[in-house]
Amino acid sequence: MKRYAYYLSCINESMTKEVDRSIELWQNDFGIEFVKLHEGTCCGGSNLEYVSPKHFALVNGRNIALAEKMGLDLIVSCNTCLMTIRTAKKALDESPALKKEINDILKKEGLEYRGTSEVRHLLWVLVDDVGLDTIRQKVKVPLKNYRIAPFYGCHILRPSTVLGHDNPVDPTSLDQLIEALGGQTIPYKHKNRCCGFHTLLVAEQESLNVAAEALQEAIESKADFIVTPCPLCHTSLDGYQAKALKNAGVESSIPVFHISEMIGLALGYSAKQLGIKRHIVS
Amino acid sequence: MMASIDQHKEGKKDVTFRVFRFNPQVDSKPYFDDYTIPVERGVTVLRSLNYIKEHIDGSVSFRAFCQAGICGSCGMRVNGLSQLACTTQVWDVLAKSREPEVIKVEPLRNLPLIKDLIVDMDPLVDKMKHYSNWVDSIMPEAQMGKKEFLISEEEFLRYDKATDCILCASCVSECSILRANKEYVSPAVLLKSYRMNVDSRDSLHDHRLAALVQDHGVWDCTHCYRCQESCVKSIPIMDAIHGIREDAIECRGKKDTSGSKHAEAFMSDIEKKGKLVEATLPIRTNGVVWTLQNLLPMAMKMIMKRRTPPPPPLVKSAKGIKVFREMFREMTEHVKQDHKSHKK
Repeated sequence: MKRYAYYLSCINESMTKEVDRSIELWQNDFGIEFVKLHEGTCCGGSNLEYVSPKHFALVNGRNIALAEKMGLDLIVSCNTCLMTIRTAKKALDESPALKKEINDILKKEGLEYRGTSEVRHLLWVLVDDVGLDTIRQKVKVPLKNYRIAPFYGCHILRPSTVLGHDNPVDPTSLDQLIEALGGQTIPYKHKNRCCGFHTLLVAEQESLNVAAEALQEAIESKADFIVTPCPLCHTSLDGYQAKALKNAGVESSIPVFHISEMIGLALGYSAKQLGIKRHIVS
Repeated sequence: MMASIDQHKEGKKDVTFRVFRFNPQVDSKPYFDDYTIPVERGVTVLRSLNYIKEHIDGSVSFRAFCQAGICGSCGMRVNGLSQLACTTQVWDVLAKSREPEVIKVEPLRNLPLIKDLIVDMDPLVDKMKHYSNWVDSIMPEAQMGKKEFLISEEEFLRYDKATDCILCASCVSECSILRANKEYVSPAVLLKSYRMNVDSRDSLHDHRLAALVQDHGVWDCTHCYRCQESCVKSIPIMDAIHGIREDAIECRGKKDTSGSKHAEAFMSDIEKKGKLVEATLPIRTNGVVWTLQNLLPMAMKMIMKRRTPPPPPLVKSAKGIKVFREMFREMTEHVKQDHKSHKK
């Protein structure tokens, strides 16, 4: 059983509870265990880094140090948390002075940031550690009848100097996962585009336009559903879907799944067990 | 087949350039023309276009000048990606091309099309003017030429990378928000504003910052990082955007915009609970009236699906929050000290 420290993203503890619920269902099937990091705090949601760069380094240096104390890699299932924590890691690894400054404070909690744990996305663990062959072997209900639009989202790809797993112009890891589960990926220009989430409360109209374009392409390509490795993209594309499409004059809809749910379906878990009924678009 | 293997060995092959064509004075809609030409290893996309224009079709229109990645004139989309034609090697593009030996060349996005691969840069120039993106000296005119401006290395490093921008508009072409609303300030303009605002010789800081925090300004950026990823000079454009935001929040107290309120909510929630209190985030960002008008129908749907974020008292603090808060506040003291010594 391979173990990982699992970062609890704020959104997965509130609006998208189905993500962690579905991971809990199937983690044993793949011989992996995600140990929840209850001491972890909000990463700052790609805002804290400019509100206060030093608090940003402290908060996320601490998040990583908690995993390092357990001797485990830190696994994240939200793109923005991933990008944010990796950005802090890069800053700490590149600046001995910053590292010393936060470590002097972290002593209070008996923690130290050393830079020994990797910060990785759930999708990367599935493709690289579990492996596509193992995933294929475990599939009970292949998704062979489904045409699936892979929506990677921004912060699993860009900035590539911080992420670096997939080619940001032509990513493949999510496509590979879909194919391993027996599904058919469709050519999807929006696969590496934006969902508009981060400005939904600040520039709503623009965000809705961004989301509508991604939804429209999937609908016009006759995809059965969109799948995304990010709960924020899910919230934009599912939660705001009706508003975005109405705004764009489109009378149609398309379901959006988390990768954790898509895996659960292929492994034979029911939609109810996976929490799929909690989606706004059914 | 044999011929192409021989060509490969010799570092020469036939490549098809699928070029976007549109002359609004003649054509009712855009189309593509294919030009197949022999290309040697080491040849750029711009040299190939020059060859096509000289030897095959003189009507193909594009803008180019220095041919060395300095002037920024030949920005265009090569196989979908905005870049400079003069610094883009044909063989590098072919290595990643989905269709073998075919390169699609299109004009930049998000700017009005003039003809074929030429876009109108005037909207970008107009925005540069709107945000006063030039240095207006703090030195009285009488002293000009008599006194030197001394800039510390520390200050120079803050805008060194930003000065590499050659205004090629690749970032403009890739911007998600500009695609959604052409009024948006644009990444290249934000980069230039940042560069001017951190320059101690400039006197327009407050005036510029006041324009930047308005609608369609710095807070509308959705952090997609497409600008930075496409920058032909590898400038960390998001650092500049974050820099303007940090300036708006910390130094000048311009906290009256929804963008800054939204950002500061993260800071205060993390300090209090270690967790984001999502339920009240819309109200704290935009007020009660906006929230009721804009989010009520969706909130009803979310209640039906039991998807609403928990109300503030039910948001559980992170484990060990007491020590965390102490550490957070200790860092606040560090930041205060930094500001004091910075002001000195």
